[in-house]
Amino acid sequence: MTAISPAVAPPRRVVRLARFRDLALLPAILVLLLVGVLIDPVFLTATNLTNVMQQQTELALVVLAEALILISGKFDLSLESVVGLAPALAVVLVVPAAAGGFGTGWATALAVPLCLLVGAAVGAFNGLLILRLRLSAFIVTLGMLIVLRGLQIGITGGQNLFELPPSVLYLGSAVWLGLPASVWMTGLLFAAGIGVLGYLRQGRALYAIGGNVDAARAAGVRTDRVVWTVLIVGGMLAALAGLLMTGRLGSVAAAQGDGMIFTVFAAAVIGGISMDGGKGTLFGALCGVLVLGLINNILTLAGVSAQWIQAIYGLVILVALMLARLTTGKAQD
Amino acid sequence: MTRLLRSTGAALAAVAVLTATACGGGSETTASGGDGRPRIGLDLPRADSDFWNSYAKYVPAYAEEAGAELMAPTNSQNDVAKLVANSQALVSQGAQAVVMAPQDTGAIASTLAMLEQKKIPVVTVDTRPDKGRVFMVVRADNRAYGEQACEFLGEKLGGKGKVVEFQGSLSSVNGRDRSEAFAQCMSTKFPGITVFAEPTEWEGAKASAALQTRLAQHPDINGIYMQAGGVFLAPTLQLLRAKGVLVPPSDPQHITIVSNDGIPQELEAIRKGEIDATVSQPADLYAKYATFYAKAAIDGTTFKPGPTDHDSTIVDLGNGVLEDQLPAPLVTAGNVDDAALWGNQIGR
Repeated sequence: MTAISPAVAPPRRVVRLARFRDLALLPAILVLLLVGVLIDPVFLTATNLTNVMQQQTELALVVLAEALILISGKFDLSLESVVGLAPALAVVLVVPAAAGGFGTGWATALAVPLCLLVGAAVGAFNGLLILRLRLSAFIVTLGMLIVLRGLQIGITGGQNLFELPPSVLYLGSAVWLGLPASVWMTGLLFAAGIGVLGYLRQGRALYAIGGNVDAARAAGVRTDRVVWTVLIVGGMLAALAGLLMTGRLGSVAAAQGDGMIFTVFAAAVIGGISMDGGKGTLFGALCGVLVLGLINNILTLAGVSAQWIQAIYGLVILVALMLARLTTGKAQD
Repeated sequence: MTRLLRSTGAALAAVAVLTATACGGGSETTASGGDGRPRIGLDLPRADSDFWNSYAKYVPAYAEEAGAELMAPTNSQNDVAKLVANSQALVSQGAQAVVMAPQDTGAIASTLAMLEQKKIPVVTVDTRPDKGRVFMVVRADNRAYGEQACEFLGEKLGGKGKVVEFQGSLSSVNGRDRSEAFAQCMSTKFPGITVFAEPTEWEGAKASAALQTRLAQHPDINGIYMQAGGVFLAPTLQLLRAKGVLVPPSDPQHITIVSNDGIPQELEAIRKGEIDATVSQPADLYAKYATFYAKAAIDGTTFKPGPTDHDSTIVDLGNGVLEDQLPAPLVTAGNVDDAALWGNQIGR
């Protein structure tokens, strides 16, 4: 926590500090690139870097969702369960009973819209509990995390779903213009998010609400409506992430997304998103995702043994954070 | 933070367990009838794995066959704290023997001591507690899994090449046993093969990322050993398909794949020539002998180390703990249609 909030500093200075925070991770990324090349020249090949990006798309989308929610001063832990439940529910509704479905036999073209709809519904329900019933976002979404995972296991009987319609597999496995479709989509969604948050009134309202919800309301922002929308969008992004993961891994695992939320928070916070709301940028969050992805890739290339990989992974994250702190001189919170 | 969060949510998790077991299907539990038959308590280790769900479906019939009354099973969701709570609940509901499969094999010791004090015999399935007394460990020889996979791969590859190994979590005895035995066999028998051991924590996404990276680094990888087909099969096949290297065994580009578990999807993949072999982990025999030994323990029957009447060997683990090491057949294209394989019996 910083003692002085940027709001009291002169406006021009605020802009500059925000830029700094945005770029704080770039030195760390450069160092990681250097280390990667030293460990194995394969690291810098287009194939490998594309792989890294593709492997990080699902995480990136959930981080995008979580970053939007954190900036508007709320919390959503249940996103990780949406990553599993949304594709699972969509799949059981369209595949035949022999493949583990409900036997409803809906058109397979409905699978993708259904999946996104599940995400939106979960976001809307979270919004209902948080905004209408005024429950704590942390506890509500923790409860939802467990309920949704339980629902997925209940619905599928704990089985992995192996037989999937092509429409479900398409987005996560297609290649557009030489790059995986998932990379294009993630890039475009981040660009859209950065645009909305930077240039649209509704987007900037997120910062206002996260910074001081009463002031935002007094200034005429319909705070509940904006936050509700953010939660719904977040749910849909998580559902899309689940869809991409399903396409990439070729099945809906019963534990799909389980434990992912910790990595999501790590990436968001490393990327400069404040847990207290109102601060951070989507570009920073994306850098956070990239840092984690590069570290993972380098550890695999280096062949770090299973006994040590977690310790080294955590240590490298800490070093990256320290590097960001040293190079920008900006205190982190 | 995981632990903290998990324990905070324990109460809510209990609700989730109830939902999960209620909708789980296939559990034919009868309410406690008190018909004089010995009562066996069963704790299932998790609800999200194909292997354990099959096991759960086998147990009621075999309990019936053993002449015991099976209580409503509990599920500890891979969490030793829930397993402790569940065993206490089972005992207070009148279980005379408890069948469990502790995934954290160290932390269960005090619970075993508690059960021993109450004179409740325990049969552990699939895992062997690091410490503490149990009546019988029903388990396939996991070191043999690793060795079978190593020998099959080594021979198929002619003793040279590059093999990727998806290691299970090293905090579980099964992940450790398979990893150690595989590594030992590879280095002594097939020193010409380079092994890339990838840590996965039993997660398909981690395995897929590691394999993708490794294939970029070494495009000439020609073998894969997956320690759990249930979680690794689909991600591996999907990745190889995307890269265009999922080709039949007759093609020189074919990557020889050995899996483990023996779920129906693995057998199907063997028939299609997508993978080459799997070790069929005996879900049916686990259920059969878990209930058999639990009933025997209540009856006061004792067992001695040595060969048994069902193609297995009981070994003494020291301290009076016995382990019945059930056979786990290697399934290849030659015997994949064997009706005795559990993966062929459950359909899907």
